[in-house]
Amino acid sequence: ETWDMPLAYAASNFHSENAAEFATCVKDKTGGAMEIVTHPSGSLFAGNDIKRAIQTGQAPIGERLISAHQNENPIFGIDSIPFLATSFGAHEQLWEVAGPKVAEILAQQNLVYLYSVPWPPQGLYFKKPVESVADMKGIKFRSYSTATARMAELTGMLPVQVEAAELSQALATGVAESFISSGATGYDRKVWEHLTHFYEVDAWLPRNIVFANKDAWDGLSVETQSAMRDCAATAKANGLQRSKDYTQFTLDGLKAGGMTVGPAGANLVAELKAIGETMTAEWLESAGDEGRAVVDAYKAKN
Amino acid sequence: MEQLIPIALFLFVLFLLLGSGVWVGLALLGVAYVGMELFTSRPTGDAMITVIWRSASSWTLTALPLFIWMGEILYRTRLSEDMFRGLSPWMARLPGGLVHTNIVGCTVFAAVSGSSAATLTTVGKMSIPELRKRQYPERMVIGTLAGAATLGLMIPPSLTLIVYGVTINESITKLFFAGILPGLVLALMFMTYVAIYSRVSSSWNPSPEPRMSFWEKVQNSRFLIPVMLLIIVVIGSMYLGFATATEAAAFGVIGALVLAAGQGSLNWGTFTESLMGAVRTSAMIALILAGAAFLSLSMGFTGLPRGLADLIASFELTRFELLMVLLVFYIILGCFLDGISSVVLTMAVVEPMIREAGIDLIWFGIFIVVVVEMAQITPPIGFNLFVLQGMTEHQMGFIARAAIPMFLIMVLMVFVLIAFPDLATWLPENIRSRPS
Amino acid sequence: MGSLRRGLDALYTAGGVVAAFFTITILAIIVLQMLARWTGSTFPGAADYAGYCMAGASFFAFAYALNHGAHIRVSLLLSKMGRWRYWGELWCFAVGTAASTFLARYAIKVTVESHRFKDVSQGQDATPLWIPQSIMAIGAVLLAICFWDHLIRLIFTGNHGIREDLVDQSHAE
Ligand code: NA
Ligand code: NA
Repeated sequence: ETWDMPLAYAASNFHSENAAEFATCVKDKTGGAMEIVTHPSGSLFAGNDIKRAIQTGQAPIGERLISAHQNENPIFGIDSIPFLATSFGAHEQLWEVAGPKVAEILAQQNLVYLYSVPWPPQGLYFKKPVESVADMKGIKFRSYSTATARMAELTGMLPVQVEAAELSQALATGVAESFISSGATGYDRKVWEHLTHFYEVDAWLPRNIVFANKDAWDGLSVETQSAMRDCAATAKANGLQRSKDYTQFTLDGLKAGGMTVGPAGANLVAELKAIGETMTAEWLESAGDEGRAVVDAYKAKN
Repeated sequence: MEQLIPIALFLFVLFLLLGSGVWVGLALLGVAYVGMELFTSRPTGDAMITVIWRSASSWTLTALPLFIWMGEILYRTRLSEDMFRGLSPWMARLPGGLVHTNIVGCTVFAAVSGSSAATLTTVGKMSIPELRKRQYPERMVIGTLAGAATLGLMIPPSLTLIVYGVTINESITKLFFAGILPGLVLALMFMTYVAIYSRVSSSWNPSPEPRMSFWEKVQNSRFLIPVMLLIIVVIGSMYLGFATATEAAAFGVIGALVLAAGQGSLNWGTFTESLMGAVRTSAMIALILAGAAFLSLSMGFTGLPRGLADLIASFELTRFELLMVLLVFYIILGCFLDGISSVVLTMAVVEPMIREAGIDLIWFGIFIVVVVEMAQITPPIGFNLFVLQGMTEHQMGFIARAAIPMFLIMVLMVFVLIAFPDLATWLPENIRSRPS
Repeated sequence: MGSLRRGLDALYTAGGVVAAFFTITILAIIVLQMLARWTGSTFPGAADYAGYCMAGASFFAFAYALNHGAHIRVSLLLSKMGRWRYWGELWCFAVGTAASTFLARYAIKVTVESHRFKDVSQGQDATPLWIPQSIMAIGAVLLAICFWDHLIRLIFTGNHGIREDLVDQSHAE
């Protein structure tokens, strides 16, 4: 059997490379009985469409940035609550609690959760040194979601709405002077052409999830299913390591490009944590009891 | 060669549907349907509507109807004539005469529009009737327009370059700057061809333009002021960072309306005519885009484009040979696919090949744009051919033949790029030092 | 029959007028978004709304454009078919009718499913997707009606009634 696997990101992206490795693993473990063909760069379905396409069987398996679907269910956005879990380690702990809950909701949507890999942590890009929230006042901050717009509001920055495709142009022309993303984004887009400082505030670590269509999954033999589960476990671990390695690689890249890269000062961290508390509380209001249970369980572990 | 069967099948159904006169967008839809039904067990209709909805509701597309509308407004006012009155005295004495207004007009509008079809519509609407009135050879009018309009893809802003940049993670600003010089060189090459042809051809007998003194020419240039103002507003807004391409298009529409009102040619009639005209033209293009989106998905499922690219990778070629193979490959692919689809579908395999061969990816972006530009004018699927067919009474065959010299000039442009790579890389490498 | 004919033509034109309103709305949204940015406020979901209007501007105009002969086709062979042209046209309209009906069927299906799944947009607009998708569905149904209309006319009168309006096309009106 051959399964087409739509991926949203370029073939050279570590998530795509990890998925390709997962596909090879499945092929080897099943002795060629199951072949997964990856389609990177949104060449089959665009990122926005992948989840729905898998749900309805238009493709049997695929990968999606899960927080993109938080309008559908706030739980899908649990990985992107600002300053809730601010390191790879903390984030894995959060996911230990949240993962099963997300898998449960996905199961109700005809999806079988296979594995999940975090993106590098989100940091703040600026055009000048920033030591406190007060220094951010009035800076034009690129927002692309309700949460990022709210963050601008809470820090006194001016939110400017800029779509991903236009980020580089917005930075080049000064439409935006600051944004929040991983070191990878800045490295890929060579933002040192326009900005000077990157603060590793590790605001959140968005996750990609690989899931399969439930009907297609149920049609597989038990052996194939268990081979795929094994490969998924490997892919989860390898993906996490790739993400960590890539984080270091891109931070070094930003430095080589001439940017000042480093953790935020203690003062700034404390102020941002406070903002994080506010935003977590706001998220909990929308997420209801289910969300509260997950966040409480996570906090209890720490 | 397990790929041969799908290739033959796609080609057969495509030629059958397109050749028999089925509307292009629906013909693409039909080919894609056959591909899906034969090569995948996936639900065809559901998959189709997913990608059609995505492509039809894309906000990046909104620049298209707006730029078309701007062209419609300009077409319906005296502005197009004015631009001709302003440009023609300067072009008239050049060998090749007013055909140069096609090329110069496209070059200028390319700096406002991200798409070739929009450039073609805007400039063509102005220039075709005027050039016909003056008895220029129809072939040259149509051919130069088809060719020069493709500059819309190379001179920034460019949708193709944005897609390419996002796909390979390259700086889009750099890619934009990389397109400027090659775009101007290509325009010059088109103009050189027109000049030479006009001297050699015996059938080149346009109505003579009245002679003018230099002062009269300068005076006539006042007719250019409204159009130049509009272009400055549109381009300026983008380059000064006030506006994105779509927003610049909105400036364009509003600016065109203001200018039309200023010269008294705006009334309820011209307003609704321009609007309804834009609606029909952009619907026509949108239907083709919808069909193309489904065809890309279908081809993606068959693995055909990537299979071909893999095959090329297996030959282990030198850098020049690789580029020649890619040139031929993209020309063939470009006969059947729109440029953005060919870029998205193949880059996954081509990018590693290019990196491996040590080819600069910014430079390769411009190479790809030239090849994608060719695809705009090669039958059976060539966007500029479709748009021109919509704008003139000509058959596709006539338009395609008229565009052949332009196609060959673009092939020559590829060799110019290979010989002088600095054309594409010098500007982007030197913007780094500009103050931020 | 005359009133049915006029009614259908008016229906396609009405589709075109709605598409025109969507085009103006695109312009309005983009201008508002710019104003918002210059004044330091935001217009959440502007890009998404513009996208929905784009779909509306296209889909509502498909039938209108067909009825005006604005859609492009390669008519080289057709024009050389002489007395066989009727069969050529019949083939084209049959394929067109099948394709547009197929499109309409799935445009309706995706809309109904989006409603059932309670699918919402992933952008800041968080619009329930069935709302903008029903714009696509209505437009696709209009196109299918238009094709059936002309196919039936072609079968019974020998003429599909679309004049490839070349002046119209060359002006792309
Ligand atoms: Na352009
Ligand atoms: Na072509």
